[in-house]
Amino acid sequence: MKRANLLSEYGALLALVLLFIVNVVTRGGNFLQVENLRNLVSQDASVGVIAIGMTLVIIAGGIDLSVGSMTAMCGAVVILLANKFAAGGMGANQAILCAAIGSVLAGAVAGLFNGLVVAYGRVAAFVVTLGGLAGFRSIALVLGDGGEIRSQVSSLQDFGFGGIPIPFVKDASGGPVLFYWSAVVFILVALGAGFVLNRTRFGRYVIAVGANPRAAEYSAINIQMVRLAVYTILGALVGLGAMLVAAKMNSVGTGSVGLYYELDAIAAVVIGGTSLRGGKGRIWGTVVGVLLLTLISNMITAYHIDTNWQGLVRGIVILVAVLIQRGRKEND
Amino acid sequence: MVHRDPNISRETAAGFTGGGRQVRILHVPKLEVHNIVMEFPAVRALDGVSLSFERGEVHGIVGENGAGKSTLMKILGGVQRPTSGTMELDDSPISLGGVREALRHGIAMIHQELNLVDELTVAENVFLGREVTKAGLLVRTRMVEETDKILRQVHATFSASDKVANLSIAGKQLVEIAKAVAVDASVLIMDEPTAVLSEPEAESLFELIAKLKAHGTTVLYISHRLAEVCAICDRITVLRDGAWVTTVEARGANPAELARLMVGRPLQDFYPPKTAQPEGDPALELRGFCGANLAVRQGEILGLAGLVGAGRTELAEAIVGARPASGGEILIDGRPQRIRNQKDAMKLGIAYVSEDRKGLGLHLSLNVIQNVTMANLRAYGNVVLNRKAESSSAETWRSDLDIRAGDFHSEVLSISGGNQQKIAIAKWLETKPRILILDEPTRGVDVGAKREMYKLIQRLAAEGMACIVISSELPEILGICHRTVVMREGRVVGELGGNEMSEEAVMHLAAGVAAA
Repeated sequence: MKRANLLSEYGALLALVLLFIVNVVTRGGNFLQVENLRNLVSQDASVGVIAIGMTLVIIAGGIDLSVGSMTAMCGAVVILLANKFAAGGMGANQAILCAAIGSVLAGAVAGLFNGLVVAYGRVAAFVVTLGGLAGFRSIALVLGDGGEIRSQVSSLQDFGFGGIPIPFVKDASGGPVLFYWSAVVFILVALGAGFVLNRTRFGRYVIAVGANPRAAEYSAINIQMVRLAVYTILGALVGLGAMLVAAKMNSVGTGSVGLYYELDAIAAVVIGGTSLRGGKGRIWGTVVGVLLLTLISNMITAYHIDTNWQGLVRGIVILVAVLIQRGRKEND
Repeated sequence: MVHRDPNISRETAAGFTGGGRQVRILHVPKLEVHNIVMEFPAVRALDGVSLSFERGEVHGIVGENGAGKSTLMKILGGVQRPTSGTMELDDSPISLGGVREALRHGIAMIHQELNLVDELTVAENVFLGREVTKAGLLVRTRMVEETDKILRQVHATFSASDKVANLSIAGKQLVEIAKAVAVDASVLIMDEPTAVLSEPEAESLFELIAKLKAHGTTVLYISHRLAEVCAICDRITVLRDGAWVTTVEARGANPAELARLMVGRPLQDFYPPKTAQPEGDPALELRGFCGANLAVRQGEILGLAGLVGAGRTELAEAIVGARPASGGEILIDGRPQRIRNQKDAMKLGIAYVSEDRKGLGLHLSLNVIQNVTMANLRAYGNVVLNRKAESSSAETWRSDLDIRAGDFHSEVLSISGGNQQKIAIAKWLETKPRILILDEPTRGVDVGAKREMYKLIQRLAAEGMACIVISSELPEILGICHRTVVMREGRVVGELGGNEMSEEAVMHLAAGVAAA
């Protein structure tokens, strides 16, 4: 019984450690290169940021299928605003900052919309955000005229590939190795969300609403406001994630950016041990889920496995995670 | 009409079955369990229990909450697998791996928690999983007919084609019973079947049990209502702390003696002495509010009696703004107020402890501390919570209300009913109310905890709280309340005070019959 609990409680973490060891043993130095380890954290940082917002929504008993399309929409907003501000004579860095703020706002408004319909329109979250999945993608396509929007602000990519120099580490040409801003954002968002969930009144309400909305209502908690808030926070984080994507790619293909992000984000949340029924979950689990999924796709490349297998492997990981979670419920 | 007296009901039962007690002469052991042990991570719920249930007997199982009754029944019903122990059905060993297998052996269970599909009709629920089909198509008429036949036996007021969602809790309980009867089980396990039934409904259930027994069905009957157990059972087994204490003949057993065996010590007078009826202006007054006129003073305990479905819970929920009020006025300290939601009620110092602990009262998956502070969380920080203050306040309630739950960081789910109820009350006392509405405060709570609850209510009243106690157990209302207001069909139909309060008087009002 004890061992089963350990497995279900820390299963994802154990799997991550296990795969890490497998990589160290089979790939040794290549894997342990600082650049490679850094990439593991930053590669899917945008999905990570979104997955953390998704964790809050799922703990509150909701779901959001629209985040992928919302990413494309916000990404389009980032580039259009950056171009516009820069063309208007604003300094490049200021233009990028304003674009980032615009993206976060656009995401927050989209999330607010989702939240309003879910909380006050009393429509099932699945349906509302399925509408968003179609709708936000459409807005993105309209903004990008059906295609790619390129950034005319060269320093956007400087941000995408900028970061904090990792001390004592030099790359092949003797330059510093940077810990990307995207990873910094991911870590800060995770720490912030963990604090909000576990230490604040709002966080407690999120858990209470997800665990038993009616009991929460009887405790004089404004459950509609809580629902509205988690969708809005997720929207804002999608805006942030979109900023990271746009900065890295320097352009946004409005038809392709953010595709399947909703699935990746939900998968990371589930793998991390957050219950899809709401009321129970953890931010660090989602971080582990994101890292695990990144490591797996990293391995598929490193071992020269046909990337077409990637989807199947992910699917299996998700199923195993859910099966172990079910085991936990039975052990309770 | 109120068959609380064991002797009266026993005669009724015997008459009904044509001397049902004689059936036992066969002495065919029907179901036996040997040395059942059930271990959970923290506790040993059953510690080597051996019992034998005979064919056609009604066997009562009593014990305090946590004594292991429900666990034992769940094992018999195939819901849980014991850590060790064996079972024999008609002398051949059986192993139960699930509900379906138990059913195959003819063992059916009526759960304490209702397991019905709200969106289906009564008949569809009764035949769920074993639908009558012809060439793969449902034969609705047969299922409806058979269901109606059973429903008539339990005197149900609804029909087989009604949707379960539209039934009251009592109605749903009757559907659960019909479901178990319909499979024609040879062993029927009933876990607190009368907890949500009104007295007439309970009476029809007892008639049905007598019929089943005459039919040779073994009925295992769990209840906290000891008088009821003495009245309808042949033998009664007492469990305490997961162990068998004794099995006695129900004839000659009396509730007080059983209660003593259950708790292992004599119970003093069950109801603590009442405090003096307080004087003064009402703290809460309803004037035509949802069809109710009533008033309760500071320090007063007002009983709200009525049959299940009389609208008592609905009235309480309207008072605290949990459902819209239909007209009338509500006055707090003589001033008219509008209460639109629970927040308004809380600001005015009104707290409502729901009858539905699991659904509305508590967050079962959260821990004790989180539950205690849930309604008053603002006091622990507007943004960042002071978790130290939270847990020290929970500790204060632990000693103040004597909440017995080892680890306050464990889920409330794993705590016994009586202690859950104390946590629910602590949660509302946290909000410092002046008017406390308790809805069925002792439902699913064992004898020892009941008395503690009565003491607590009286203490709160003595400290100046205006208390309204909703209860379906008349002795309880008569035992602790200063005055009683009776409701019928959504309206207040009468008020009784002091010496006027008697079971008969209350029941006459509640059932709408003129006093004899």
